[in-house]
Amino acid sequence: MIKTLSNNISFLRAMLYISALVILVVGALTYRSVTEVTKSSEMITHTYKVNVELEQILSYLKDAETGQRGYIITNDSVFLEPYLSARNRINNSFAELKVLTKNTPQLKSKLIDVNTLINKRLIAFKTSYRSLPKKDIEDPNFKSNFRNGKTLMDSIRDQIKGVIKLQNNLLNKRSDEYRSDLMATPLLLFSLLLCSLILIYLAYNSIYKNIKRLKIANEELEIFKESTNQSEIVSKHGSWTWDQNNDVFTFSDNLYRLLGEQPQSFEPTIQNFMQYVHPEDVEQLSQQVENMKKNVELPYIYYRVVHKNGNIKHLKAYGKSIINDEEETVLLGTTADITDEIISFRALEERNLELERNNQELSSFNYVASHDLQEPLRKIQTFLSRLEDEEAEKLSDRGTRYIDRIQNAATRMRLLIDDLLQFSRSNKADKVFEESNINLLLEAAKQDLAEVISAEDAVITSDAFPSMTVIPFQIQQLFVNLLGNAIKYKSEKRSPVINITHQVIEADNDPQITKPTKPFYHKITFTDNGIGFDNEYADQIFVLFSRLHNKDEYSGTGIGLSICKKIIENHKGHIIAKGKPSIGATFIIYLPID
Amino acid sequence: MQEDYINIILADDDEDDRMFFTDAFEDLKMTTKVQTFNDGVYLMDYLNSTEATLPNVLFLDLNMPRKSGLECLQEIKQDPKFKDIAIAIYSTSASEEDIENTFVQGANIYIKKPSSFKKLKKVLSEVVTINWQYHTNNMNKDNFLLRL
Repeated sequence: MIKTLSNNISFLRAMLYISALVILVVGALTYRSVTEVTKSSEMITHTYKVNVELEQILSYLKDAETGQRGYIITNDSVFLEPYLSARNRINNSFAELKVLTKNTPQLKSKLIDVNTLINKRLIAFKTSYRSLPKKDIEDPNFKSNFRNGKTLMDSIRDQIKGVIKLQNNLLNKRSDEYRSDLMATPLLLFSLLLCSLILIYLAYNSIYKNIKRLKIANEELEIFKESTNQSEIVSKHGSWTWDQNNDVFTFSDNLYRLLGEQPQSFEPTIQNFMQYVHPEDVEQLSQQVENMKKNVELPYIYYRVVHKNGNIKHLKAYGKSIINDEEETVLLGTTADITDEIISFRALEERNLELERNNQELSSFNYVASHDLQEPLRKIQTFLSRLEDEEAEKLSDRGTRYIDRIQNAATRMRLLIDDLLQFSRSNKADKVFEESNINLLLEAAKQDLAEVISAEDAVITSDAFPSMTVIPFQIQQLFVNLLGNAIKYKSEKRSPVINITHQVIEADNDPQITKPTKPFYHKITFTDNGIGFDNEYADQIFVLFSRLHNKDEYSGTGIGLSICKKIIENHKGHIIAKGKPSIGATFIIYLPID
Repeated sequence: MQEDYINIILADDDEDDRMFFTDAFEDLKMTTKVQTFNDGVYLMDYLNSTEATLPNVLFLDLNMPRKSGLECLQEIKQDPKFKDIAIAIYSTSASEEDIENTFVQGANIYIKKPSSFKKLKKVLSEVVTINWQYHTNNMNKDNFLLRL
């Protein structure tokens, strides 16, 4: 848009220059034409003046001739007067002609010839009337002189006619030249004018288009402004500018609303704005406003404002300096009402505190479970063992049986306490992930179970594992629980065989991984040849305290697999179980790879 | 004459546990002299007194009123005159935290109180006959907790 506009501006400038040039050319041509016309009319006047002078000379000569004749007839000297003044008059006319013909040498030489003839004629006058002393016009001498005068007169007339003719020829020739010039000039002028009209039209067209485009842009701006207004209202934002050189502020409509006021209801100045700022925040905000003058970009500024009705709102402001076309620094700022966020943040904080308190209570419960509950139980068991060992022969059969029963109940209670403790420990907040050697963790788990493994002749085979980033003691616990389970729920017909495999899979290729967080996962599969279970219970077995078997048959507490699930959840993984009754069970673990 | 006895001290606030402990040594018929104290303050008072016979093995319960087993452990380890005493932690709980702390403070072995009298006797006879010199040199976090 800006580019096309600037292109257009240079186009318009070119148009202007070309039009000016055309007008200058038209002016120059017109000036030339007018000068020509003047020149030509001067020439005509000049020609007529020359002709008039020549006619004048001829008429003086005629006057002289007539006077001479009158004198000859009457012998009255009065008639001689035109002849006597003729010479002077003719000289005057010749002087005039000399001036007029100074630029035409052909005429000049002709006129010299005419002058010579006139002199001859005037001498001839003198000779003829002097040769007539006795009024004898029949005198042959006089007659020849007189005839000679006539011949001279005729040749003068011819000469003058010749000069006039030459003069007229010159005039006609020049007029023709000039006329053809005058014929060409209007055509040129007209075409130039046409050309400049076209240019003006093009310029107009371009201006019109630009104006139209500007109008559209203006409308778009108007729409943009309105939508900004609306979005400011919806998102509880206000914007402002601060021309720092002139210390002039502008506030958007919604900034006033953030202060609980009508749009543009007071003059946008820092002093007026500060009146709304919470008294405790005024000093800090003023300090930060000072900082704004020095820095280009500023951190977020948090402060409170107090509405006239007493409501307190939390605002957050951000500003950035830009330098405008006039080289002035203008700060553009955005201010947001974050009261809702602050309120929900506080609520969240309160919830967090409550959770923390709950957690603390839970840990003290853990301590009670781990220590205080175990202690009396241990003593009961120790006393029972002493009763069995030291007092057995004094007891009746029934007494021995009862002691057996008490012993069983106490053992079960210990199991429950241990498992519960483990479960609550797998919930603990401080989970430290570290790069761990899984093979070593599996080895340690086997060590923990060494007694049962050898008692049941269990065979455990496993792939070599790569190192993984896990919570080591939890993964060891997981292995202990899964291996322990496989041995505990062994088939009576065969020794337990447990196979552990590992592979790396792509999350997208395994439908078991719902909502994958990473593209690749470790897949660890535990397969045993125990009693298995019906797939119908595949999900249920992970529920806390859920058991598939009577506790007289198997000693489980229903906590072990819940712990496994918890541990895998801590690792953002998945665990699933598959079973076939009396064939075996499979547990598959998916752990995301970072 | 005194040289033939193994001197053993137990600090434990629980009366029943003190009884199990002395009864077990009586049953074991070993040449031991067993002394018990009701808490950490009594224990440290005795150890710091001039007439005290320093034990070969000291069993420390962790959870005691007035002065806990961990505090006693720290005090004993700071005093060079007690450097020959082997210290066995003797506690109901076997939490990672307790094991870690006492290991770092320099205890020699960690015993979780067993829940049968037979096992208790086995554990105690084992601990008393340990070659402490050898055990201490090869000690690490894994064999710190006594497993039987």
